[in-house]
Order: sequence, then C-alpha cells, then structure tokens
Amino acid sequence: MTRLVEITVSDEVRERACAGEEGARQLIYAAVAPATFALIRRLVGSRSASEDVFQDTMMILFERLTEFRREAPLGAWLRQIAISRSLMYLRSPWRRVLLCLETDERDTPAPARATTAALAPEAIDLERALATLAPTARAVLWMYEVEGYSHAEIAASFGRSVSFSKSQLARAHQKLRAWFEPQGRPTCTLS
Amino acid sequence: MHTELEQQQITRLLRKLPDDAARPYDWHEFQRRARAVPAAAVQVAGLRALATGIVTTLAVLATAIRFGASPHPPQPPGEAVMADEAPAAGGGDLFRAAEREDRAAQYWLERLPREPALVQVGTRAAVETLEDHIAQVDDLLTAERAGSAPAERLQLLQQERAQLVNSLVRVRYAETLADAAR
Repeated sequence: MTRLVEITVSDEVRERACAGEEGARQLIYAAVAPATFALIRRLVGSRSASEDVFQDTMMILFERLTEFRREAPLGAWLRQIAISRSLMYLRSPWRRVLLCLETDERDTPAPARATTAALAPEAIDLERALATLAPTARAVLWMYEVEGYSHAEIAASFGRSVSFSKSQLARAHQKLRAWFEPQGRPTCTLS
Repeated sequence: MHTELEQQQITRLLRKLPDDAARPYDWHEFQRRARAVPAAAVQVAGLRALATGIVTTLAVLATAIRFGASPHPPQPPGEAVMADEAPAAGGGDLFRAAEREDRAAQYWLERLPREPALVQVGTRAAVETLEDHIAQVDDLLTAERAGSAPAERLQLLQQERAQLVNSLVRVRYAETLADAAR
C-alpha cells in the first residue's frame, strides 16, 4: 500500500471535487481512504473508534478541499488532519473511558486476526506487541518511527513537552524489546 | 549496542508491517454515514446544551452556598436619607457606616421566616450560636453606653456586632438558597 504522505491527486480531479462533482470525490476517496484508515487504525486501535475518526477526517477533507494550497502532496495534508483527529480522540476523557471498555478489541489486534496466514511470524508478533502498548505510547511510536515526525513535532501535536514524547517512545521500545526477548516470547526472535 | 540493534530491527519491522487488513468501508457507506451525521450532531448538541445548563446552574448555586454570595439586603426605610447625609470626620463616620450596615442586615433578617421550611440541624446550631453572641454584644453595648464608655470602645463593639450580623446573614442566605433548591 502506498504511504499516505506520498499520495497525490491531479489538479483536474481536485478542482472537479472542489466544484462538488461526486465522481471526482469518489476518485479521491478511493485513492486516499485505505492509507488514511490504516494510519488512523494504527493510532487509535479499536476498529469502531477508527471508523468514527476516519469518517470525521474524510468529511473534513471534502469540506476543506478548497483550502488545500498544493504546497505538499494531498496525502501529506490529509495525514495532518488524520493525526490531529486521532490524537484529539485519544486525549478526550470520554473516549478514554470508552477505550477502556473496549478491551476485547484492544487485546486482540485486528490486523493479526484478519491476515495471520499472510504475515511473517515476526510481523504477527509485532502486531500483538503493538496491541499491548498504551494508545498514547503506540501513537508516539508510530509517529516517530514510521511517519518520521520529530520529537518536537510530536510534542506539539500532543500539546506536551519534548520529554513527554521521548519518554513515551522509550517506554514503547522497552515494552517491544521485552516482548521479543527469548525468555519472554520463546516462539519468536528478531531476524 | 545490542539494545540499539534490536531497536533498529523493531523500527525496520514496524515500517514493513502491511496495512492491507485494515480496509475502510466503501464510498457509498461513507456517504450514508455523512448524511446521518447532521441528525446525530443536532441530538448531541441538544444534549450538550442541556448538560451545560445543568452544570452551570449547579456551579452557581454551589459557589453561592460555599462562598456566601452577598445577599444584598434591601435598604431599610429611611436608610436612603441617612446615606445622603454628609459624612462626619474620622471614626464617627466609620461608626455610623457600621451601624447603617448593621441595620440593613437586621432589616433583611427580620423579613425572613424565623426558621426555614426544612431545618438542618448543623445550620440551625450555627444560627443560634450567632444569635446568642449578637445578644451578648447587644447587652455589652447597652451597658457601655449607660456607663459613658469611650467612643473607640463603642466603635469596636459595634464593628464586632456588624461582623456577627454579617455572618448570620450569610448563613441564613445559604439556608434560604438550599431551601429553594429542594
């Protein structure tokens, strides 16, 4: 799957979408939806909450498409919206309560459940290890390691200090390493 | 070193994780949900407004009870005339101001029923204690006036009486608020 930040849409399609043409909007949706949802899923965790955040993100995309200045690929702009909405979800006290109640979904990561056969053993284990992380630590880890955000950018996104970002990342790494240690998980080692 | 290597391997694995399993719903489902959002948003907005109203009312009531918001007792008859009088110099002015405040509070207190509809034992005890203290200060004031005590002494006693009456007003005001909230 193409990373969200790399997805571009032609000016012609974008202008038609801005004019409200449904076909053009459908094309944009088809291009960006999978990567957007995958990113949100990584940050938010539960499927139902991810769908809510995804819906919100895509609605904002179409509402504000006229404000897009083409300074970066459309995917990069959308990534900012998706991350901002996901973090808003994670910060909300009411959502935190819901997140705790949805333990069944958090305990078993959906991607591993759905495609166990297609994944390499270490990837399955990594999916499981990710699911054991606290949502905030997982979001920081993903933003830093995969999306390439700096600690300063992560701190700004969370409205916290740089040391918050560093400590969350260190904790996430520690937990993942413990998961892969031979005595902790005898069935799996890193290649 | 070993830890660093492991970390790099984890990072590499994270970047290679496939996302294909996390498929979103299609365009038609997105449109269906988008149409459903305004109705839900109206409902949520209504509930939020209601909740905000309730919380604000409770907060105002709690603050009034906790900090004894000033009951602003109405001016007793003739008070307006007294207020317009030219102020006397120094302590005499303070003394008269304390007396005026005292009379205004007393006037407000007298308009209240002797006891609220529902008597709270703790509050009633506080009211009675304050009323007893005021009565003692009143006796002392009468005695001092009869004995031609110095003005400073009378002023101190009057101030003490005003403070006690003020406390009584606050307790009674909280009592009436609590009574009205029931």
